[in-house]
Amino acid sequence: MKNGSRITHLVALREKEKGDWKKLTIEEKKALYRASFCQTYSEFTAPTGEWKSIIGCTLFLSALGVWLYIFLKLFEESKRAQLKRMIDLQVNPIEGIASQWDYEKDDWKK
Amino acid sequence: MFRTVALRVHSAVRTGLNLNKPTVLAAFPARCMSHESTETDAEFDNRYESFFNRKDIDGWELRKGMNDLCGMDLIPEPRIIVAAMKACRRVNDYALAIRFLEAIKNKCGGKVNEIYPYIVKEIQPTLTELGIDTPEQLGIDKPELALQSVYDMS
Repeated sequence: MKNGSRITHLVALREKEKGDWKKLTIEEKKALYRASFCQTYSEFTAPTGEWKSIIGCTLFLSALGVWLYIFLKLFEESKRAQLKRMIDLQVNPIEGIASQWDYEKDDWKK
Repeated sequence: MFRTVALRVHSAVRTGLNLNKPTVLAAFPARCMSHESTETDAEFDNRYESFFNRKDIDGWELRKGMNDLCGMDLIPEPRIIVAAMKACRRVNDYALAIRFLEAIKNKCGGKVNEIYPYIVKEIQPTLTELGIDTPEQLGIDKPELALQSVYDMS
């Protein structure tokens, strides 16, 4: 962008603005507007389509949550069996997992 | 409530100290206890119309008046808009006139199809007299240029 020519064009336009506004062309009027304001109302209030990315990311994260649930459900029985084996072997009976199990009542200690 | 408390304390102090001079309790009635305004609609319209009609108004004050109007929960009367247009002519700012018209249209909210044509019809004589186009006539009621959002820049 040529610096000098743009500024002098605006100076001349400002002089013309002091006169009769009916003598301004449509392009000059728009140039005056753009010189003062970067965007028009319709431009900065225009829809951005951001809602699409919001819905997309939300659904993606929900999908990850559902996958995690499926994963946990898939290994639930085997995890339960592993825990039962640890209790039967009396693993860490003083401070650890078997110390929490009440062998008389066959249930967790309250 | 505080006013009555203050008055009671004041009168108690007076009787306690035996002050015989009559004091004017002018400060108490003048205190504004609420933010409600007692201005009528006509007074409000006249105030803003005369503000914009000031001969020596400058660009800053014009923008301040317009900004305050746009901040309020109302659409200005056509005669206020007419006064603002004439003020724009006096400060030789064409872009501001167009911007104010766009702002008025934006203020109409959901009822833009009912209110905005009425306003344009009311102010059209002034617009033709001063040579101001409406945003629709300039073609800026539809987006023209796209600007990269600052949030999309790296």
